[in-house]
Amino acid sequence: MQNRSRWHAGLTEYLGLAAALALLVLVFSLSTRNFFTTTNFTTIANQIPALLLVATGMTFVLVLGQIDLSVGSVLGLCGSVLGVAITQWKWPAGLAMLAALGAGVFCGAFNGAVSIRWRLPTFIVTLGVLEMARGAAHAVTRSQTQYLGSAIDWVAGTNVLGLSLPFLVALAIVAASQFALTRTVFGRYVVAVGTNEEAVRLSGIDPRPVKLAVFMLTGLLVALAGVIDTARFQSANPNAGLGLELQAIAAAVIGGTSLMGGRGSVVATFFGVLIIAVLNSGLAAIGARDETKRLVTGAVIIGAVILDQYRHRLERGRST
Amino acid sequence: MNTSTSSCSPRRWPLAAALGLVALGLALTACGPQSQTPGKPRIALIMKSLANEFFLTMENGARAHQKAHADEYDLLANGIKDELDVAKQVELVEQMVAQKVDAIVIAPADSKALIGVCKKAQDAGVVVVNIDNKFDDAVLAGQKIKLPFVGPDNRKGARRVGDYLAKQLKPGDKVAVIEGPPNAFNGQQRGLGFDDAMNAAGMKIVSSQSGYWETDKANQVAAAIITENPDLKAFLCANDSMALGAVAALRAAGKLDQVKVVGYDNISAVQTLLKEGKILATADQHADQIAVFGIEYALQLLKTKTAPADRETPVDLITAESLAGK
Repeated sequence: MQNRSRWHAGLTEYLGLAAALALLVLVFSLSTRNFFTTTNFTTIANQIPALLLVATGMTFVLVLGQIDLSVGSVLGLCGSVLGVAITQWKWPAGLAMLAALGAGVFCGAFNGAVSIRWRLPTFIVTLGVLEMARGAAHAVTRSQTQYLGSAIDWVAGTNVLGLSLPFLVALAIVAASQFALTRTVFGRYVVAVGTNEEAVRLSGIDPRPVKLAVFMLTGLLVALAGVIDTARFQSANPNAGLGLELQAIAAAVIGGTSLMGGRGSVVATFFGVLIIAVLNSGLAAIGARDETKRLVTGAVIIGAVILDQYRHRLERGRST
Repeated sequence: MNTSTSSCSPRRWPLAAALGLVALGLALTACGPQSQTPGKPRIALIMKSLANEFFLTMENGARAHQKAHADEYDLLANGIKDELDVAKQVELVEQMVAQKVDAIVIAPADSKALIGVCKKAQDAGVVVVNIDNKFDDAVLAGQKIKLPFVGPDNRKGARRVGDYLAKQLKPGDKVAVIEGPPNAFNGQQRGLGFDDAMNAAGMKIVSSQSGYWETDKANQVAAAIITENPDLKAFLCANDSMALGAVAALRAAGKLDQVKVVGYDNISAVQTLLKEGKILATADQHADQIAVFGIEYALQLLKTKTAPADRETPVDLITAESLAGK
């Protein structure tokens, strides 16, 4: 394991991402009036928890050498369950949230268990669940957006120093996840399975529980994201999270997570999320035309990954 | 098409495809739930995304109407999964023609791309009625065909919502428009209607951006717009889901009292917000009636064989007062 060189390069790794982020902030600060303001930064901070949580789960999945395409739909389903439980079934808020979290964990467990039991690529299984979860979200809401009013306002409405509870929770989860990925046996297993599953199996470790755990964890994080967004919008839309899987993958990839598995960092993914969020917010502040937004966003994703390639060459050059 | 294998020469594949369609049509008819009575017209309803509350309401309205008039016609309702899946909708029209339905009532996913296949259907003797999203007039004229349109005037509806908003603002006030996807015709029309109203009242539109019909995307855009324009007075949103996103952005910024929001569609989720004044107004296009009007018109055309003409369906302005009046 190239553990030492990774720690060595850790600082430069984040410096590169931080520099890219600073560059974006600079560009937008110069081209708009109110981008470089506390209000704007707290606004962005309070918008990203959902994407941050989903991207954190996605990082684990990608490091494991797998993929989860179902996250967007599962987020829609969890929000829908929460919304319907409160508005239609008249459940108490706490119980409704538990049901939403349960739905997320169930979807994650389904993804993991089915791909393990029948040895199917997770690409296929999660693609199926992408459809099923969206269908379930529409079935449970009868395709109608549910308005919750102030039923769970405290979730998104609680503020500490202008930062919302979801943002602080998401930060704590990022820190805990980074710790779990780099400093625990579980994290080492995830990296090992993602690097070479066969070698892990031959050395007497069963990779299956690791896989199941990662997908269940992702399901839980996605559900949490669903609860947060539902609270923020005071409404549950069965179409919520459409295309979120691609944003989460983009954030992880910008952060240098390998799609081939074995390599990734939750903190780097956090930077990826920030870059996407700043880009979205800045382009909207400029009032860029829709086609410009798409062209720029796509170019930034590819540019970030190319930059990452160079960083790796440097890293390799240094470690040999 | 699964029947056109690689061994088919390019010249033979249309035949193979046609055979495939016929086979598919037969298979569909054989397993279809509709009991067919000879002489009773069969009407195919081809919808946009059934994942959208608006279209679901439309389809449910049509199904209820068919049940009430079961002796007058049979209904084959089909929708596409994604509102933008034009290719799938073209396939659906071809399948319905192959099934020899008497009439097709279609809410096209694209106002141009579906014209060709609908012309083919018309040439094959099928009555085609266009609902909800009007076919492009220029292309219709170019192809020298007439497809009657039955549906709401989105531009007029949005203009009414905008006019109502304008009465609560002062000339020169800054407003922003959250639009639908750039390629959605009804979204474009609503955007134009908002522009008409704001320009007529002398408001300043500081930004017009797409929220892709989605709450979260509209929320992101709205939040950025408020930060950039702290003195903004109103958001005009091309649908209610996006209005929910704008309201959330205003709540987060503590500006619910300073910025007014209007939407479009009158979905059930905004009823409370309308009453509370967090959303000032929206428009109701009576989704449950649009497909029904289309079907009734198709039946009439089948019976009388008159020349087709457009028919506008009502759009109502919905406000806190109009809700209280109900």
